[in-house]
Amino acid sequence: MSAPPVGGSFTLVDHHHNRVTEASYRGKYVLLFFGFTHCKQVCPAALLKLSTALDLLGPLATEVRALYVTVDPERDSSEVLRGFLSEYPRFTGLTGSAEQVDVAKRAFRVFARRAEDPEDPEGYAMPHTAFSYLLDRDGRFAAHFTDALEATEIAARIRTQLTG
Amino acid sequence: MTLSVPLDREQLGHLRHFDNLSRRLPNDWSLMQGKGQGQDDFGSYRFQLAYMAYALALTHRHRLPAAPGAFQPTFQRLIDKILEPDVWLYWRDVSQGGSVFNAHLADQLGEEWDPVVRDNIMYSAYVQSMAHLYAYLFDDDRYAAPGALTFRYWSFFWGGAERRFSYDQDSLAENLYWQLVEGGFVGIACEPNCVFQICNQPAILGFRMQDLRTGGSRAEEIVRGYQKAWEQYGRLDGNGHYNMMISADTREVRPNQTLAPWVDAWCGALMNSWNRDFVHRNYPRQVREFLVPGSDGALSVRSAPAMEVMGQTVVNDTCDFGWVAAWASEMGDTETRTGLFTHADRYFAPTWRDGGLYYPRNDTPADADGNRTDIEPMSGNVLLGYARLNVPDGLNGLYQQPWDRAHFSNPALTEVDPEVEVSRAVFADGALDFRLRSREGGEPGRVVIGRLPGRGDWTLRRDGEVLASGADATVHSSADASVRAGDGGVELRCPAGPARDYTLAVTR
Repeated sequence: MSAPPVGGSFTLVDHHHNRVTEASYRGKYVLLFFGFTHCKQVCPAALLKLSTALDLLGPLATEVRALYVTVDPERDSSEVLRGFLSEYPRFTGLTGSAEQVDVAKRAFRVFARRAEDPEDPEGYAMPHTAFSYLLDRDGRFAAHFTDALEATEIAARIRTQLTG
Repeated sequence: MTLSVPLDREQLGHLRHFDNLSRRLPNDWSLMQGKGQGQDDFGSYRFQLAYMAYALALTHRHRLPAAPGAFQPTFQRLIDKILEPDVWLYWRDVSQGGSVFNAHLADQLGEEWDPVVRDNIMYSAYVQSMAHLYAYLFDDDRYAAPGALTFRYWSFFWGGAERRFSYDQDSLAENLYWQLVEGGFVGIACEPNCVFQICNQPAILGFRMQDLRTGGSRAEEIVRGYQKAWEQYGRLDGNGHYNMMISADTREVRPNQTLAPWVDAWCGALMNSWNRDFVHRNYPRQVREFLVPGSDGALSVRSAPAMEVMGQTVVNDTCDFGWVAAWASEMGDTETRTGLFTHADRYFAPTWRDGGLYYPRNDTPADADGNRTDIEPMSGNVLLGYARLNVPDGLNGLYQQPWDRAHFSNPALTEVDPEVEVSRAVFADGALDFRLRSREGGEPGRVVIGRLPGRGDWTLRRDGEVLASGADATVHSSADASVRAGDGGVELRCPAGPARDYTLAVTR
């Protein structure tokens, strides 16, 4: 088929200031979620749900690296990500330049768009795709999970990938 | 809903015309050429082919559910035709942008030959939905084979190597899905940057058909995302008509500014598949603004004046009349539908050709008395037939009330010769009821009653008289030579002349 695939290479910085690429996580499954730390509803709910799904995996969770990629690099520095994710310790935050983040978004066909935030006239919101992506040990796209799925279903599907 | 009323002469005539057009030799588009040039506009071949297929789907689903053989070959030929380069080559040019709405993007876009890889939902969604409708209706995954939906072009005279873009029903759907994701579910563009509400509806139908086969929930997910994305823009404009489109980059919404009937009618007819209450609620007020009363119950449709843009008069096939007829049929608005056909049969020169019924193209706006005479091939070949064959909430029923699996194993007319007209075919209460007629002047046409193995004893009656009996696919006795066992089931020869009623009753 000629259509563009989902997934690909990226170069970003993690919330410990390490430069990372898609190759940095080879050998582990990667659970990837795109969002932004000013997000009031979608991200907190998704991160909580995905953390629960990983908890449900038990010891298998050690085979999965959970990454949170910002779509708002202007405000989400490594420090901001680290602080935000302290409530979701399974996740490592990734940021980068606007261009680097755009490359990652394009690779995963992620929608994110700057929009007015009625609750924050001085700031802005970033409506975004609320999917999570699972990459296999070779960094290839393996599955995606929509925001309608419950933690138990996500855990079951990850387990199938890991053990199947 | 399944209607047990037999198809009438006009409905059979439209089906025959669809079949006739599907049998045209490659690159023969006789009777299908409209006013617009370059396959750019609303009367293009792709739309005619797709909505013929949709009309077949509606007729099969709601009127002749036990006659897949009367539809399947035509449906396949329509899919073959929509893959022909004449249908999609426009995309090589249109992909470069430069329309009045997105002239600013022209420098950023290049020539794209693959007609489904990005944007162009005004084509890709029809290929996708036709393939998945086919799979669902006929329980046949032939378009799931790798490369089953391949777009190829090569010329001896120019252009170098062959262009070949291979897809199948699932890879095509996957590509559309991810484009929807990437666009935040607001929709996929037709021309670059121009996301029309209308042209994303067929994709939703296609995803629903795919889900019916796979047990998935893509359509539900997409509808949820689509609803949410459009909440902020509004489905309707300030005048209560459907917003026509949104610019993908600026998110500027373009209303139905000229009150063009096709915008509302096309969108409403399709959106009713998944958004029934909303569409029905707005229909009566919307349609009133488009109808023109005539004499003796006739109703016509007024068209908006042609747009003047950049010093040019836009010439295209609006298909206003045809789309309002299709919309009224979906809404179950019998009064409007009847009034429109009164007008059509009076002023649009209904024509019978090779057993098919259509209304030939006429570019003259009106007769001396001011009655609309302008009709495009899309309306005359396809949409008026669609409106005659559809049932109230026909697309909604196709979407919301799928057949159960048992449907696909019930006895049915699995093969039907082109010379045979099937005007009823329903399986209910252990009996297959059907009405057949072979067209005059030919040999007795053949039909095959399939899916009999495992059904046990049966008796076949013609006009109430026992014609044959048998068990499974074996014929034990027959009153004449018109019934015999064949490879695909029990073969029946249908004599020319008046239609005959048949009942195959399973007795065990």
